[in-house]
Amino acid sequence: MDFNYDPVLQSWRFLLDGLQVTLLLSGGVAACSLILGTLVGLARRYGPQWLRVVLVFYIDSMRAIPVLVVLVWIYFALPAITGWNLPPFWSALFALSFHLAAYVAEVIRAGIESVRPGQVRAGLALGMSGPQIVRKIVLPQAIVRMMPAFGSLLSLAIKDTAIAAVIAVPELMRRADAVAGQSYAPVEVFSTVMIIYFLIIFPVTRAVDMVYKRIAFLGRS
Amino acid sequence: MTAATLAMQPAPRVVLQYRDVRKLYGDFVALSGVSMEVERGQVVCLIGPSGSGKSTLLRCTNALETLDGGELLFDGVPLPRDPASIRKVRQRMGMVFQNFELFPHKTAIQNVMMGPSTVLGLSEQQSRARAEALLVKVGLSDKAGNYPANLSGGQQQRVAIARALAMEPEVMLFDEPTSALDPETIGEVLNVMKALADDGMTMVVVTHEMTFARRVADHVVVFESGQIIEQGPPAQIFDAPIQARTRDFLGHLGWDA
Amino acid sequence: MNLDWTIIPASAGALARGALITIALTVLTMAIAVPCGIGVAMLRESRLRPVALLATCFVELFRNLPIILVVYWAFYVMPVVFGIAFSPFITGLVALSLNNTAYNSETFRSGIKSIRKGQTEAALALGMSEAQAFRKIVLPQAWRRVLPVLATTWVTLFKDTSLVSVIAVGDLAHTAMQIRSQSFRVIEMLTAMAAIYWLLGYPQAKIADWIHKKFGVTE
Repeated sequence: MDFNYDPVLQSWRFLLDGLQVTLLLSGGVAACSLILGTLVGLARRYGPQWLRVVLVFYIDSMRAIPVLVVLVWIYFALPAITGWNLPPFWSALFALSFHLAAYVAEVIRAGIESVRPGQVRAGLALGMSGPQIVRKIVLPQAIVRMMPAFGSLLSLAIKDTAIAAVIAVPELMRRADAVAGQSYAPVEVFSTVMIIYFLIIFPVTRAVDMVYKRIAFLGRS
Repeated sequence: MTAATLAMQPAPRVVLQYRDVRKLYGDFVALSGVSMEVERGQVVCLIGPSGSGKSTLLRCTNALETLDGGELLFDGVPLPRDPASIRKVRQRMGMVFQNFELFPHKTAIQNVMMGPSTVLGLSEQQSRARAEALLVKVGLSDKAGNYPANLSGGQQQRVAIARALAMEPEVMLFDEPTSALDPETIGEVLNVMKALADDGMTMVVVTHEMTFARRVADHVVVFESGQIIEQGPPAQIFDAPIQARTRDFLGHLGWDA
Repeated sequence: MNLDWTIIPASAGALARGALITIALTVLTMAIAVPCGIGVAMLRESRLRPVALLATCFVELFRNLPIILVVYWAFYVMPVVFGIAFSPFITGLVALSLNNTAYNSETFRSGIKSIRKGQTEAALALGMSEAQAFRKIVLPQAWRRVLPVLATTWVTLFKDTSLVSVIAVGDLAHTAMQIRSQSFRVIEMLTAMAAIYWLLGYPQAKIADWIHKKFGVTE
């Protein structure tokens, strides 16, 4: 087998720009899904009954529908219905965040529910109010307990951005496909890109794990 | 009430009064008509087999559970039902739990400061000063900066006692405070409780530590199946129980009445 | 906006075939990835360091890659490595299996590790052999830990099968996108596609929840 890495070397700038888009989109999706998911998770736990029903339906639907399907629907069908035309990057940011936020919401809820009821009782016994207990006792512990799950969601956010290639967002995956098509060296191109993705995602996963190991005791009642 | 009016009308002698208190969990009768009194400065120990209703009574006292019948008077006033007033009442009672329930994300001193700073609205400085004094009192001033994960069970429970005392409660409720402890750390917790009793604190203690009850209690209440089967001074309960069932219970624990 | 929903019944046959392929991909991938996952998990515990290291590298690599990239990679690399062309279905199956084998091996490994050492010691103290202790004491308990995670992986896998559509496997997503581009009934087709995925995926998600509730171990 002969490997020809010239196409990769010749288009490194092109691929590097793609990596920037990937990182930008990953950061955007992580931030947006965290904010939206936290709101949904809290409302699902503490909100009024009717809102909970709506949010459970949203969460379960996102758990049932592939992110690719959400993405192409928002990119192709939504403009046809509403008349708004979002550029691919913004469609991807919106679709991926909308999908991932449901998972964030589930993590938030599970984290809150994993705090032992005795902790709430201890707060009540001190005469604290419900909101005080949530803010000062339940949430700080829940956030620590949620960290491993957030770590996997963060790596999922990065992985999901590769799917945005389908709607021609010029991120790393899309550009790799383009280089591969032009150069007739797809094996080399995709193998290189594979390593790049691994080098981004693996340290993220590891770093979260390491931080968690150091602070896990803060959430262990 | 201001200090002046307090001085004029002496505080009522009876702090807690239970009148025919009933509590159900579904079909299970946890308390079926319990009546007793706790006087100011008294140490009352609740003893009896597991599941006999002692802990339930304690949790009802702090309004962590609602009553299904009867009345519970605190300082002559029935326990309120609206959340805001319940909070006010809870601020005047301290509670210590079997599993400590220290807040794991706070250091020892931050745990003690939690009540004064969030509930009483004291300044950081004031609550710190109060917390430091209390940690000295429970013998843990050197552990102020430790997180609960770095404290032994006995140390955690002593911090929990300090945390409850930081609200300057009129009554302290202890729910099996030594049941989750290693044998070698039980003593340090009981000593703190004894010192508290000697200071004149009103205490209601659910416990399996018969020696403690015998030595420290002014009044002992024996529970079985959600009812009080006998109550009286420790000398009566431990040395000359009137009820055969009291004798049985103590006999099972290896106590010779 | 003029909508013409008759495109859906008109394409019902093709969509049904696509859905069937999606389901087949899910089932076959899991059928491959469960035994392979157990195998890799055992290799990771191997006493031969290079074997264990290789297994670890495999797991960490495929857990930390976008699946869509693995699909493309398999599409281009497999013919080069093996010298023959594979159907898109086989290629997709291989890509999904690689990814899920990596995930499952982690699931099995942590499931077995979660059983306290005292359990094995108690079994050995009864005079059981190491193998007996593993089979009779550790495995039955580990299953309770493993099954809920496998259920979650299953639902994720079902959704991820849509990613093989990029190499023209005739699955539900690919079929729907094809009909969309031929008929220009964008809204109708994409909405139908989402609805079919929802109808298939929702019960699976609910069953996974049920398994979590029934077998889940709370610490």
